[in-house]
Amino acid sequence: MHWDIVWNNLDYFLWGAYPNGPLGGLAMSILMALAGIFGAFWLGLVVGVCRLSSRKWLNMPSLVYIEVIRGTPLLMVIFWFFFLAPAVFGFNLPDWQSAIIALIVFTSAYIAEIVRAGVLSLPKGQMEAARGTGLSHTQAMIHVILPQALQNMIPSFVNQFVSLTKDTSLAYIIGVNELTKTATQVNNRTMKAPFEIFITIAVLYFVVCFVLTEFSRRLEARTNRYQARNR
Amino acid sequence: MKRLAKALVALMILTLAAAPAFAGKLEDIKAKGVFTAGVKDSQQPFGFVDEKTKQIVGFEIDIMQYIADKLGVKLALKPVTSSTRIGMLTQGDVDIVAATMTHKKDREGQVDFSITYFMTGQRLLVKKDGPIKSVKDLAGKKVGSVKGSTSEQNVKKAEPTTTVVSFETYPEAFLALKQGKVEAVTTDEAILVGIKYADDKPEAWDIVGDYISPEPYGLGVVENDSKYRDFINLTLMEMWESGAYKKIYDKWFGKDTKNYIPLTWTMELWP
Repeated sequence: MHWDIVWNNLDYFLWGAYPNGPLGGLAMSILMALAGIFGAFWLGLVVGVCRLSSRKWLNMPSLVYIEVIRGTPLLMVIFWFFFLAPAVFGFNLPDWQSAIIALIVFTSAYIAEIVRAGVLSLPKGQMEAARGTGLSHTQAMIHVILPQALQNMIPSFVNQFVSLTKDTSLAYIIGVNELTKTATQVNNRTMKAPFEIFITIAVLYFVVCFVLTEFSRRLEARTNRYQARNR
Repeated sequence: MKRLAKALVALMILTLAAAPAFAGKLEDIKAKGVFTAGVKDSQQPFGFVDEKTKQIVGFEIDIMQYIADKLGVKLALKPVTSSTRIGMLTQGDVDIVAATMTHKKDREGQVDFSITYFMTGQRLLVKKDGPIKSVKDLAGKKVGSVKGSTSEQNVKKAEPTTTVVSFETYPEAFLALKQGKVEAVTTDEAILVGIKYADDKPEAWDIVGDYISPEPYGLGVVENDSKYRDFINLTLMEMWESGAYKKIYDKWFGKDTKNYIPLTWTMELWP
């Protein structure tokens, strides 16, 4: 067993060459996951609400967006943004930025569907009652429907966010120096301890995802207090 | 609909206009003050992450440093793999590719190459005392190589009945060899030597067979910029003539290193 290799490189796995070089390793993975979660939530929310709209010019594009993205492997989406975006926009995105955009675009399609399901699962009377008080459709959506729907969606969101966190590992294909990439680098240099290295990496991913799940469980418990309807 | 079409046309024109006006790469680099090189980050001893400093180091990095110094700008390193290196170069993500890339005729359509800066040939890494002694012994067996590499295609040409299993990097292919998933790993001798001596028991492995193909490495540069390519070529020649090349070579492949490969070829020097 060569646990010494893991031990000697642990700092590299955790934050890469920082502060003498660019940030990498687990720190990079977490940053990418956070940026991805933030972006995917808002974009997904917008796309999901558009998908629910009765206006054709709003719901058709979002339907196409959702179906195209959901029918494409994430690896492809990452490659798209890395190699296609510069050809289309005329400028280059640094690799980690294009990876984050790819993660946001990919995950938001799933978030959009969660949003749609969450809104549709509310009793019809909610919207009718809200409209009855004189709110416009948009106001009813923002103040009455979405707050309730989002609460119910938390478990599905968490599922998707945990999945996104693990998906950051795919960015290694375009050379982003995140956790998986640092593991490959060390493994390829030493070639003695693949088992030890990849077990360590797996544990690190698990810890991050576990913390995320635990955090959301608390969030859910706390918000539940304010919502008597489901109890 | 008409409006949409108009908007699309406008968008296309904008995109075209946004494409940078063509300036020579040399002026470009000097203006930026940074020379960005696409290098390998898990390929001993060409380019890999040093355990202590956590920086990418290696033979190709030293060559790049020399060129950057000559240009009078800072060197920035960007890791590439065999499958991303050409795309990143043509897109301008990197100014040059120094990533164990063989100068091949059919790659000339996409990028230009410098003169040869490293000469090697494709051979086989096998278990010592195993059944494989030459490429012919691979008939019906599995051999490991890397996606997008020339080795992949050459070994198939040399022995059509072999099955090539492609990995992301060579050390991964070596791992497969260790675990018996493939019977041999094939690529350039220089890389095989690096893999063999990084192992716990180098004596358990053997590099066998004649050269399946010669593998002259060239630095990849963008197409149709002869001023830039000339500069790179002349700098390489200057390195060779002044002995700077030998110094770097000895540092990574000399007798005192674990990757010892005698320097048996000479660089093409223009009169």
